[in-house]
Amino acid sequence: MNQNGHKPSVMIVDDEEMVITSLKAFLQLETDFEINGFTDPESAARFAENHRVDVAVSDYLMPKMNGIQLLSRLKELQPEASRVLLTGHADKQSAIQAINQVSLFQYLEKPWDNAQLLLVIQSGAERATLFRDLREKVDELDSAHSSLKNVQKRLIRAFL
Amino acid sequence: MNTAPSAELHQMAAIGRLLTGIVHEINSPIGSIFSNNEVLLQSLATLHKLLEEPDPQAIEKAQRIIETCQALAAVDRIACERIRLVIRGLKSFSRTDSAEMRKVDLNEQLRDTLKLTQAEFRRRITVEVDLGELPEVECYPQMINQVFLNLLVNAGQAIVGEGVITVRSRLEAGQAHVSIADTGCGMTPQQQARAFQAGFSTKPLGEGTGLGLAISKEIIEEKHGGLLSFESQPGAGTTFHIRIPLRQGASRCESERA
Repeated sequence: MNQNGHKPSVMIVDDEEMVITSLKAFLQLETDFEINGFTDPESAARFAENHRVDVAVSDYLMPKMNGIQLLSRLKELQPEASRVLLTGHADKQSAIQAINQVSLFQYLEKPWDNAQLLLVIQSGAERATLFRDLREKVDELDSAHSSLKNVQKRLIRAFL
Repeated sequence: MNTAPSAELHQMAAIGRLLTGIVHEINSPIGSIFSNNEVLLQSLATLHKLLEEPDPQAIEKAQRIIETCQALAAVDRIACERIRLVIRGLKSFSRTDSAEMRKVDLNEQLRDTLKLTQAEFRRRITVEVDLGELPEVECYPQMINQVFLNLLVNAGQAIVGEGVITVRSRLEAGQAHVSIADTGCGMTPQQQARAFQAGFSTKPLGEGTGLGLAISKEIIEEKHGGLLSFESQPGAGTTFHIRIPLRQGASRCESERA
């Protein structure tokens, strides 16, 4: 559980039900994270429109929308989320494209290693939390700064 | 067969192009099986501990773990089945058991070959399979599979974006009739006239050898006394018809040949 009392939220997107079932079972055993699995990338994107996502693990080759398209959509919606591509389609071209276009947190290949995946998801969740906290602090600083400015303005007006 | 080595090279090239899809098709189930195995082992250890002091809470937890394990065992089965089918599809292309002439179930050959192309098609092409009852057909299964593969790959390449491939088989006038239809770009009359000509290809350099249809025609007509024909409409799609006699040495499928 992080500072704000949220359980980290992990999204798993793969058009193969079996991958989702396996990853869910594993992550539920190892973590207390909230896990949401989607076989359809479009419903995953819709979910991300109004639910917090800390880590998104996506397959590459999927119907309608590939993993890079989905992760770049997620990047627009929730820039703090850690984006992970988990692909069996191991060609360098898609890897490079993914890293450049969606600033991936990690690129993993199938068949995956559970220990490595767990580490990636845990550090991804931590990173997302830190980013969100940082943004909150920056926002707080901003509003403190602007209220200070107001006070300053009023002071100047009062004395001049 | 005397079409080698070009036929063999062409076949290797066709399978090579499918390899990315095949690897992808196998990687997901293997990843799942590995992951499930770890979870199952850990779950068994947890169950062992829970059974040492079986209080109501422990029993409830144990039941949840058992449910998870059952779900994972079911996934493993599906995953293994998937791998088995892909391997079976690949095996039907290996020379060892299928280079000789023998009686085979053509529908089974079709399903095996479809398994190989499915990985490539799954994400954009709907394959409709309508296989009628067929008696066993005497043929060279490896060569016949090569024709099926050629025609399916062609059909897939003819479809830009999403589309449908319909695979149909029937027993007609004492012959096996297999048709493979796509909703792809079709062929112009000029392309149709040269379709079976060796070296002619509409595909970009490196994608097609221009031999697929020439080899397929030779396999069906010269090796099996059958008939390979097609009808095509630009913009609407192409349908290939394979007709082969049920027994070799029987009368050839000359009737429709112009």
